[in-house]
Amino acid sequence: MRLPRFEYLEPSDLEGVLNLLATQGDDTKILAGGTDLLVRMKKGLLKPKTLISLKALNELSYINEEDGCIKIGARTPIADIIASDLIQKEAFALFEACEKIGAISIQHYRGTIGGNILQDNRCIHYNQSEFHRSGRQPCHKDGGKICYARDEADRCNSTCQSDGATALMALGASITLAKKGTERVVEIANFYTTDGIMPFAMESSELLTEIVISIQGGKSSYKRLAYRSAIDYPIVCAGVFLSASDTKKDEIEDARIVVGAMGRSPLFLVQESFSLKGKNLNDTEVFKKVADSSMNSASTFAVHNVGSTLEYRCVMVSEMVLQALKGAAQAVVAAKG
Amino acid sequence: MEKIQITLNINDKLCEVMVYHNDTLLEVLRDELDLTGSKESCGEGVCGSCTIHMDGKPVRSCLTLAMEAVGTKIRTVEGLANGDELSDLQQSFIDHGAVQCGFCTSGMLMSADALLKNNPKPDEKTVRKALGGNICRCTGYAKIVEAVAHACNPQDDCPDCKTDSKVRE
Repeated sequence: MRLPRFEYLEPSDLEGVLNLLATQGDDTKILAGGTDLLVRMKKGLLKPKTLISLKALNELSYINEEDGCIKIGARTPIADIIASDLIQKEAFALFEACEKIGAISIQHYRGTIGGNILQDNRCIHYNQSEFHRSGRQPCHKDGGKICYARDEADRCNSTCQSDGATALMALGASITLAKKGTERVVEIANFYTTDGIMPFAMESSELLTEIVISIQGGKSSYKRLAYRSAIDYPIVCAGVFLSASDTKKDEIEDARIVVGAMGRSPLFLVQESFSLKGKNLNDTEVFKKVADSSMNSASTFAVHNVGSTLEYRCVMVSEMVLQALKGAAQAVVAAKG
Repeated sequence: MEKIQITLNINDKLCEVMVYHNDTLLEVLRDELDLTGSKESCGEGVCGSCTIHMDGKPVRSCLTLAMEAVGTKIRTVEGLANGDELSDLQQSFIDHGAVQCGFCTSGMLMSADALLKNNPKPDEKTVRKALGGNICRCTGYAKIVEAVAHACNPQDDCPDCKTDSKVRE
């Protein structure tokens, strides 16, 4: 498959990239690892006039601990995150998620964490070859007015299948978006629009530069279900963060449950997360109830568009949340001794 | 758009090639440099048959722009052997009968070579994980996994391994 024609630019530093983004129009895309972007371009889903390569920006590839936070450069390869002791110790859900992205031996050296967060939403009806799509009317995401995933839908129902974003949302991470002359920090939970066509609340002149995870003394876990263990997107995934109170060892002080691959963005289940506060860490009955409730909440967003049947995915939400809750709870108990 | 000249370091040789901005490394290797060992199968990073090494790490050449490869050390399957002498891994693939149609073999070799450089004596689970990104449609995975695991670590009880003791017999 040939790539469509484009102009390739390789700025030598961050300022150069931001200057180019400020002057170029919407037809410009950032090329980090290319494992998502180039595939979409080969399928004719995207035809940017210019690609700005981050190849020379080694300044955006780092993992540091600073002021009680883990700071990760957006261009850090997935392989570096897996190899980091700091991430394994303080952000285990991110480690588990990164291990599942793509294939261990290959894409991890080119694929980046920033690229994983910003991977476009997917849909079985949209992510197809040009030939396949040419046989029918274009869908919402393709510039048309039809949704093949849900009848009569007035907007795009594509699904966010990012492993990294789900884990990072569970960890309460925030991201830094830089623009020429300014930058802003957004919590990842507030980073999403409810629009499947352009799922991210960012401008085309902005560049994702950093991911910040504050170390909160809790433990996290990430579980996912996919057809293949390598090179496959999750059909359901769940990230959980749990922390115990300082005074009562077995009591949950803070909890965050995030379900991924079920909606246009990872879903932060506020009600279920809140209901865990004050509960016992070893109480699996409570976990089961919360997992079932998570299934009901997440199911309302899902449509049949990532391969497996909708019924199966919905049922498996409960299982993934339960496994992640158990994993995180065990880690908290083990850490408290 | 016009072609521009770039220099690539492939198998320790500097090659000057004319490329378009939208040429992938795989297209340049196969079409411009006649290094047809790396195969194009899916073209979208799923199958692994186009795997090459960039700076010693396995990457998909179908999802790497030729422009992005400038300044890196590229090794293709043609660079694995030392002249006419096959590497241990390549010989092990032959000994274990790990090649069926052969289309996935170059990718398998490159992924396995990267693994063996870090871990010369991998167990089966490690090999399977490392080759997780490579698909063999002949489905002869058992032989491939055996060939990789025994490449630098010949087993006396494996009938396909040419251990020193067996050679002496």
